Amino acid sequence: MAAGQLNGGNVMKKRMLGVIDATTYHEDLEELTVHRSLAAVPFAGRYRLIDFVLSNMVNSDIESVAIFPKYQYRSLMDHLGSGKNWDLNRKRDGLFFFPSPLLDSPSKGIGSFNHFAANLDYFYRSKQEYALISNCFTVFNMDFRPVLDRHIMTGCDITVVRQDGRSLEMYLVKTSLLISLIENRNETGYTCMSDVVTDIHHSYTICNYEYTGLAVMIDSIENYFAASIGLLEPEAWKNIFLRSQPIYTKVKDEPPTRYVKGASAKNSMIANGCMIEGTVENSIISRGVKIGRGSVVKNCIIMQKSQIGENCVLDSVILDKDVKVESDARIEGRSEMPQVILKGTVQGAMMNS
Amino acid sequence: MGKKKCVAMLLAGGKGSRLSSLTKSLAKPAVPFGGKYRIIDFTLSNCTNSGIDTVGVLTQYQPLVLNSYIGIGSAWDLDRKNGGVTVLPPYSESSEVKWYTGTASAIYQNLNYLKQYDPEYVLILSGDHIYKMNYELMLKYHIEKGADATISVIEVPWPEASRFGIMYTDEEMRVAEFEEKPSNPKNNLASMGIYIFNWSVLKEYLEMDDRNPESSHDFGKDIIPLMLDENKKLFAYPFNGYWKDVGTVKSLWEANMDLLDDECELNLFDHDWRIYSVNPNHHPQYISTQAEVVESLINEGCRVEGEVEKSVLFQGVLVGKNTVIRESVIMPDAVIGENVYIEKAIVPSGMTIPDGFVISASEEDDEIILITEEMIQGIYS
Repeated sequence: MAAGQLNGGNVMKKRMLGVIDATTYHEDLEELTVHRSLAAVPFAGRYRLIDFVLSNMVNSDIESVAIFPKYQYRSLMDHLGSGKNWDLNRKRDGLFFFPSPLLDSPSKGIGSFNHFAANLDYFYRSKQEYALISNCFTVFNMDFRPVLDRHIMTGCDITVVRQDGRSLEMYLVKTSLLISLIENRNETGYTCMSDVVTDIHHSYTICNYEYTGLAVMIDSIENYFAASIGLLEPEAWKNIFLRSQPIYTKVKDEPPTRYVKGASAKNSMIANGCMIEGTVENSIISRGVKIGRGSVVKNCIIMQKSQIGENCVLDSVILDKDVKVESDARIEGRSEMPQVILKGTVQGAMMNS
Repeated sequence: MGKKKCVAMLLAGGKGSRLSSLTKSLAKPAVPFGGKYRIIDFTLSNCTNSGIDTVGVLTQYQPLVLNSYIGIGSAWDLDRKNGGVTVLPPYSESSEVKWYTGTASAIYQNLNYLKQYDPEYVLILSGDHIYKMNYELMLKYHIEKGADATISVIEVPWPEASRFGIMYTDEEMRVAEFEEKPSNPKNNLASMGIYIFNWSVLKEYLEMDDRNPESSHDFGKDIIPLMLDENKKLFAYPFNGYWKDVGTVKSLWEANMDLLDDECELNLFDHDWRIYSVNPNHHPQYISTQAEVVESLINEGCRVEGEVEKSVLFQGVLVGKNTVIRESVIMPDAVIGENVYIEKAIVPSGMTIPDGFVISASEEDDEIILITEEMIQGIYS
């Protein structure tokens, strides 16, 4: 058999690599990123921020995804595991994890070429003709295939995904161009993809792809809170949770959530394994949370395994994971600036705020 | 294959005819239970939690759903290099197809599977029951008693004793007599259909049984009585705890309702004895502003806009506005329209209940309604 018969031809060439830059650190999100990278920040009751872009890639037929993390990536690695939950535990391609060897040189922008350069072999070895480079902190449900179709049709060098003119910090390029940008980073001075597209002297054809669906880049506590609570709106919900394009995450063996006598829930999103004995309103409740009798939880985000005692009142609060709120406690934040309770802390009734 | 101390054989070929339309296209062990599980999850989770990592699952009746559900066993951590889960369907041998004609013949036909592991003990299980049990403790008991076979037993209410295989034991718990479904039971210790055999004894008796043309090839009817006749050492292992055969629509409903009872011994929230299952990927449940949810168990992927009371909702169930669901079990992906009233019923997987549909069991009748397509079409005819 001639070797040519084993090549896929054009069909196989029209494929993308997924490159996720998980090195970003936002100072405004510090309270939620003390113990974890931004990519691993919990969202919508059972997800981590990275699940959105990663699932979108998988749903767009991307079969090889490289994740470039930095800072506190233990929880991110634990979350992703072998990639099985995203169907990325493959013999060929699959999920690649490239922690940064450059811990002391903070790099700005998405697509840090120095970090990529330390793992150039991945790009050399990959057969996919195109690469999609994305940030790790956008909440959205997007099919990237039309972006590739447009990119090929227009013959552009770089396609930038935008919303209302603003860059969503996602870029589509030929893998060969990405490799040359990485190799020549010292000569060009470009440190990342945004350097390339914002340089007025560059010699590349740059196109924009306007994305009209819901997309929120999480970069502060305020917008994290607003985007979370905003998901309770049917319009937002329908934009993010599509049966045909599911958002995958690490699944857990939690039982269904149980509501006891006297419990009440309204306008809330609740994950599995919860025990609801009190009242929940306009809130997002993650897996394995307990809300005791007589407690009222309103406008809150309660993360995994947090325990709320009896007769507590919580309004406009973000409880990080494993927080214990003792009975009779009152914690109230403001709707524009919620109170964040750090992971693993104990809140007593005397510590009213 | 490496040698194993104990290999489990899980009988999962049962038709479960009394579950009516629920088992029309799937075997009883695959019937949904508890808002998220299938019946077989309990036995498979017991195996993995008891440290048994080699399980042969014998399938026969309507195996498609069950086979694809079990897969390579990763949901129960039973995807192992040596051992793990193996689905064992009936197969043909040179000239004849050998259907499993009884529980014993099913094991007999898979002796080659067992021989690979050369186990010391074989644990025989059925995939039809809801319970949590540590088989390791039963094995310890079996070894301590120096038994040839040990049968797990549970005290059942006297009026129900005639539905079970009843054991008569001495004070050492050695089995003296066994009666299959006695009309006048003199004891209430019922066999749970869980057996541990010494492998050499099991092999000998299965081979003997196979040669007997009169035999119905059943453990309860043939193997156990024969062993007793020959004065083998059979012991009863007393089990205390929740155990339910969910063989009828009513008992399936009851077992689901048990989960809503604070006093119920079957705790799904116990992290030390988790019940594992294949976790489909669904968004968290959404409870709308108009919804009321009390005393219920609700899984991910549900969207509730009506009133749900004392009910169990499986994954992906939608409940429309002004709808009331009481004391009911709604199986996966069922879509319940608006202005619907359902009481004391089971809605099967994937069924669509049209707007305005009303159904409830009559007051005096304590039957549970299994909603069928015919009932739904009936309201329009």
